[in-house]
Amino acid sequence: MENTNHHNQHDEVHISSYRDHWRTLLTLLLLTLVTIVISVFGANLKALSVATALLIATVKVVVVAYYFMHLKYDKKLYTWLVLLVAILFAAFTILTATEYFNR
Amino acid sequence: MEHTSGFVLPNSGHSRDDEASKLGMWLFLFTELLLFGGLFIVYMVYRMLNHESFLLSSFELNVGLGSFNTVVLLVSSMTIAMAITAVQKGEQQKAVRLLVTTLALSFVFLVVKYFEWSAKIHHGLFPGMDYYNGLPKGESLFFFLYFIMTGLHALHIIIGAVIIAVVIARTRKGLVNKDKYALAENAGLYWHLVDLIWIYLFPLFYLIH
Repeated sequence: MENTNHHNQHDEVHISSYRDHWRTLLTLLLLTLVTIVISVFGANLKALSVATALLIATVKVVVVAYYFMHLKYDKKLYTWLVLLVAILFAAFTILTATEYFNR
Repeated sequence: MEHTSGFVLPNSGHSRDDEASKLGMWLFLFTELLLFGGLFIVYMVYRMLNHESFLLSSFELNVGLGSFNTVVLLVSSMTIAMAITAVQKGEQQKAVRLLVTTLALSFVFLVVKYFEWSAKIHHGLFPGMDYYNGLPKGESLFFFLYFIMTGLHALHIIIGAVIIAVVIARTRKGLVNKDKYALAENAGLYWHLVDLIWIYLFPLFYLIH
């Protein structure tokens, strides 16, 4: 009975390879480069730059959460919880912005 | 004997539950996200109210140093993720080396931040200084938020560095190993969160011109 008491291990653990990690880093660095280039050299895209910068940042965050934070291979519960928090934060942001624009 | 078998009190003996500790870590990360989230909403509102001043002030920040620190954090996120891979594969030495690299990168980040802050303080831009007090409202708000948000983030880097140091010590002793690595995983999650927050701080303060 001794061992069945331990919930700990990881019945079918997914081990990310070193190469996967390199690939994730490369993706993140490329996205960073794109943001910097748009911001520094795209002065005439003024209106676009805020939205683009935030959009690219969000893509980077998703990549970090999905691969580095292992959401891709973990139980789906974690992904749902993260989405729930993201929706909660988006709701706060949208409510605040709406209030501001309707003054 | 027979009728007692199969009846085990939850959490009795030396059972441990790695899944539960990971879930606990995630719940804690959510509170952190909402803490910074609140500050991001404050930033959004003040930016909408002081559009021009925020634009003007953002040019004061050094895009080169900010970009450099972004790369440092991204690389450190990779090295800690690799350290977990190494632990899972039983490559203890490699894991320790990767963790030490992560720790070193956290110091690099803090040193760069120190020079950035010193330059700003030298110019009198720290809240309460004479030059700061004479700034137009919008610009002083920008620097107030800059110091609060990057300061709180730097505090998280320091806490993360301490946690990584603990993981290094325990990995060297073999207390973190391929059968027991929840501590390393949770430290990794915390470190990635610190990276995530910087991913938003960087464009919001340095890049949005």
